[in-house]
Amino acid sequence: MNQSTIRSAPGLLVDSARRMVRREPGLALGLAILAAIVAVALFPQLFTSASPFDIDVAASMLPPSADHWFGTDDVGRDIYARVIFGTRITLSICAGSLFLSAIAGGTLGLISGFFGGWTDQVLGRFVDVLLSFPPIILGIIITGILGPQTINLILALSIVYMPVFFRIARAGAMSEIGKTYVEAARSMGINEPTILRRHVTRNVMPLILTQYMILFPLILQIQAALGFLGLGVQPPTPDWGAILEQGKDFILFAPWMSLFPGLAVLLASLSLMLVGRALQKRVDSR
Amino acid sequence: MSASLVKRLFASLLTALLASLLVFLLMRSVPGDVVSQMMGQAGGDTAENALRQFFGLDQPVYMQYFNWLLQVLQGDLGTSWTRGVPVTEMVGKAFLVTLEIGVITLLVATLVGVPLGIIAAINEGKPLDTLIQSFNILGLSAPVFWTGLMLLVGVSSVLSWSPPLRFVPPSQSLSTNLEILVLPILSLGLLQAAAYSQFVRQNVVSAMHQEYVRTAIAKGVPVRLVFFKHILRNVLIPIVTFMGLILIQILGGVVIIESLFALPGLGRLLLSAIETRDYPVVQGALLIVVATAMVVNLAVDLTYRMIDPRVRES
Repeated sequence: MNQSTIRSAPGLLVDSARRMVRREPGLALGLAILAAIVAVALFPQLFTSASPFDIDVAASMLPPSADHWFGTDDVGRDIYARVIFGTRITLSICAGSLFLSAIAGGTLGLISGFFGGWTDQVLGRFVDVLLSFPPIILGIIITGILGPQTINLILALSIVYMPVFFRIARAGAMSEIGKTYVEAARSMGINEPTILRRHVTRNVMPLILTQYMILFPLILQIQAALGFLGLGVQPPTPDWGAILEQGKDFILFAPWMSLFPGLAVLLASLSLMLVGRALQKRVDSR
Repeated sequence: MSASLVKRLFASLLTALLASLLVFLLMRSVPGDVVSQMMGQAGGDTAENALRQFFGLDQPVYMQYFNWLLQVLQGDLGTSWTRGVPVTEMVGKAFLVTLEIGVITLLVATLVGVPLGIIAAINEGKPLDTLIQSFNILGLSAPVFWTGLMLLVGVSSVLSWSPPLRFVPPSQSLSTNLEILVLPILSLGLLQAAAYSQFVRQNVVSAMHQEYVRTAIAKGVPVRLVFFKHILRNVLIPIVTFMGLILIQILGGVVIIESLFALPGLGRLLLSAIETRDYPVVQGALLIVVATAMVVNLAVDLTYRMIDPRVRES
């Protein structure tokens, strides 16, 4: 073997990163931003020493400066600190809700597609009802009627895109059913639930995971919109949507109150979208 | 074909019925109704009970739903509990505002998005394509209300102009009406143009790589002709389908934009009715939203049959 082909592990990592930047610049950019955002969400204290809750009325509505990078809000809280600490709250609500949505929608979809018959009819009808509302309106109905509490927000966000997971899983299960391995498993006497759990689910999994990434930026936007309407996480909790909601009354006097949390939503959506697209491309080409 | 259409129509009606039932049950499953909101701390039991009886809230839920449904079938959406005005009138007025915003936004999104998508596809892999794709992804990432806020800040600081505060219908003054609507439509339109452009680019690019296109070009058919006769014709169907999807997206986005720009459309009506627990208005507004989405889907289906002879014959 040639000496030059033997490389250290970090060297290999740098190499593959370089290759990715060249071949898929979008994916590389998305992953880089996403990594930064995840770091902020995990260790907010590393990025700011200010508190997201400390009120200082004497320093209210200050424009961005060296002391307050993103300015301060109407009661003098540091917006930079609020956006930084809001990262974890906003993203974990979205990630958690979407996870619940994938579990519920995926399971129901698999059952519906695998067993067919009246199970499929009933579940399909139920999903059609949810789909008859535009997603954001469904979110508004649920949080508006049940009341603006975080638990209701999570419930609403997990219902909004459940039908999408349902449809993907259902279609996936239906296409797997006819394949030889299912027939083989049946002829071996393995019972239906086991086939569904062990074999079909495993094959449908990549589709659901890809959909999770595709829907993440969309759920983030809905979460922010509900927060903006006052139906999401309630202040003083530093959620991105809640910060935006507080800023809207001061938009012409202190636009920085809205500019930066909105940019945070934009950057997070952008990175998730870039990664999701690249993932979709790979699944499609398989 | 007509049989399948009738079947679809029935399915849609059933879905709308179930959707209204879902909302009905959801609203009555939470504590606190319009009466307790009206009376606040002041209410005594007798007065509250009398009011509940007046609104029919003392009846069992299934009877309330049944009565409401009976009314709706007669074309009556009831009377607003907080304003005493017929719901049909309130919803109708609000719907016109939302419809105006929605249709103009769709027009803007189509006129901007479709050409952008085609230009990007023709220049696949070139800098222009990258530029347009960057616009697409940025447009899709920006929250629509935030774009609206930033546009508001932008025009007021650069042009020292801000839209009139009181809404004026187009029948009163078209120019003032459009002045009010320009920012909401721009913020919604930008997002949807990005979505449209991305979709069109994807479809045109995949059409350009088809065998029949390569064959036509190899046969010596002028590229321009290939584009208009072969590619565009095949891409038209998904573009029309997508138009319906965009319209439904706009219907959702309008709700947020209306509350931001204080426009008296369906979204604002819905939000305020939910807040005051004005059940008949909530039901009425949602019925219109669901019905609109269904009509759009049906219209897409019909157009689809008209453009694509393959669907017609099957």
